[in-house]
Amino acid sequence: MAITASQPMGLRRWRSSRDAIWQFLPVLLLAALWQAVSMSGLIDPDFLPGLDRILAALWEMARDGELAFNLFVTIYRSFAGLAIGTVLGVLIGLAMATSRAADGFFGPLVATTYSLPKSTLVPLFILWFGVGDITPIVTVVLACLLPVIVGTYHGIKAVPPILIWSAQAMGTPRRLILWRIKLPAALMPILTGIRIALGFSFVLTISSEMIATRVGIGKLIFMDGENGAYAYMFAGLLAVVLIAYLSDRGMVRLMRYLLRWQDSAELTADA
Amino acid sequence: MREPARQPRVWRRVLDAVIYAYPLILVIAVWEAVTELGYVRPLFLPSVGAVVRQFWPMLIGHQIVEPLAVSLFRAFTGLALAVVLGTGIGLAMARFASARWAFDPLVSLAFPAPKIAFVPIFVLWFGIDHLSKILLVAFTCVFPMIVATYHGASAISGIVIWSAQAMGTPEHKIMTRVMLPASLPHVINGLRVTLPVALISAFTAEMVAGGGGVGSAMMYAQRFFQTPTVFVYIIVMLLTGLLLDLGMGRLRQRFVYWEQHD
Repeated sequence: MAITASQPMGLRRWRSSRDAIWQFLPVLLLAALWQAVSMSGLIDPDFLPGLDRILAALWEMARDGELAFNLFVTIYRSFAGLAIGTVLGVLIGLAMATSRAADGFFGPLVATTYSLPKSTLVPLFILWFGVGDITPIVTVVLACLLPVIVGTYHGIKAVPPILIWSAQAMGTPRRLILWRIKLPAALMPILTGIRIALGFSFVLTISSEMIATRVGIGKLIFMDGENGAYAYMFAGLLAVVLIAYLSDRGMVRLMRYLLRWQDSAELTADA
Repeated sequence: MREPARQPRVWRRVLDAVIYAYPLILVIAVWEAVTELGYVRPLFLPSVGAVVRQFWPMLIGHQIVEPLAVSLFRAFTGLALAVVLGTGIGLAMARFASARWAFDPLVSLAFPAPKIAFVPIFVLWFGIDHLSKILLVAFTCVFPMIVATYHGASAISGIVIWSAQAMGTPEHKIMTRVMLPASLPHVINGLRVTLPVALISAFTAEMVAGGGGVGSAMMYAQRFFQTPTVFVYIIVMLLTGLLLDLGMGRLRQRFVYWEQHD
């Protein structure tokens, strides 16, 4: 729906909010269906608690700080792992793309460990690092490494040589080629790798929390499920889905901002 | 004359293989050295020999093939469900604006969600056995399949569809006879991406919730501190993933032979 600039602001805002409601109507319809099934009593309401009970549980968890604390722990673990994994991944990817020795060393390791589910290392990490923060963080680091390495490696390899030649011809010193030319030109695939890693980071934090740790939103959902506090379980899950959705949107925003100088059709199509 | 000419080529290939594999050999050598010299307790890191020795008794004790078959059954059944549903929804989204309107917000909300967090709910609804795992795998894999199919199908040139219509293809066959074959390369690509995801979700769901399969067998061994057994399971899962990825590459070559480039 194209909105021309000549329309008055009020109408435009009304239109865009109407569009937003229209766009998210299917989600609301699904919620309404959920509520109807729950109220009809066709399914045991313990198995499918109504939205009123889920939202009440969410509100209660939010008020006594349980939700914020556990979410904070989970987000801290995910982001710490993501940050370390990203830095290491970019460094290894860069090394592989620029040096044959590094490519020969890391290449086979990356190829063999690519298909290993990283969550299977959790039992081992419990032995090595205990049930604290380190086990989920190390798992997340390992999982985030690979997409970032692959993104960086292919990104740097795909930089058109003509860009480098032009920079050299215009007098860019050798040591600055990497910072000024290669990294910016490879930013798109690197950021795409980080976006994939962001998704991995939540999955692995939550799975290792369910397997091993004492706190965290994954543990909370799992324990509520074990104890039969199903409304609370659904409330925790709702919080996780929203956090994951919002952080992915945030990542897309960040990508758009960082790549605003690039005219890439890929990004607009994907987002 | 032929022999000396062939000899260096064989050696070259052996040499290339060694050069390729040296990082792996190095890792195994360091691992073996560290354990043999007694720097770490075998409980934390068993020696390579201990892991290899553990393999045979487990194999004849029905501890490898049977759990692996259970996990693979769950992964593949779930994946098959996801492929059928995902391809159908993706094609419908590309063909009908109403389907796009209905599914787009649901897909964009559910795509980034960590599906493993749904394990307790799936166990609550569908029990602890096969069904909950199969459905979790399907739930995890269906969104990437929808996205892949949708992207492929919406890139189909309108001319192809119009030609089919002009030649009298009925509306209900447009999707199966025109759109599906035209977007098959994307579907296969999506399948290649989701196959490891299916395996990972099956293994992880078993680790979290139990109920048989390699994942829960491994957690069981870990609970009794049988570290060599845990390592054998990790290696089994690693090899399964590698072999399936290899097979998938072959399958892709065979199915989308008409597609010249990647």
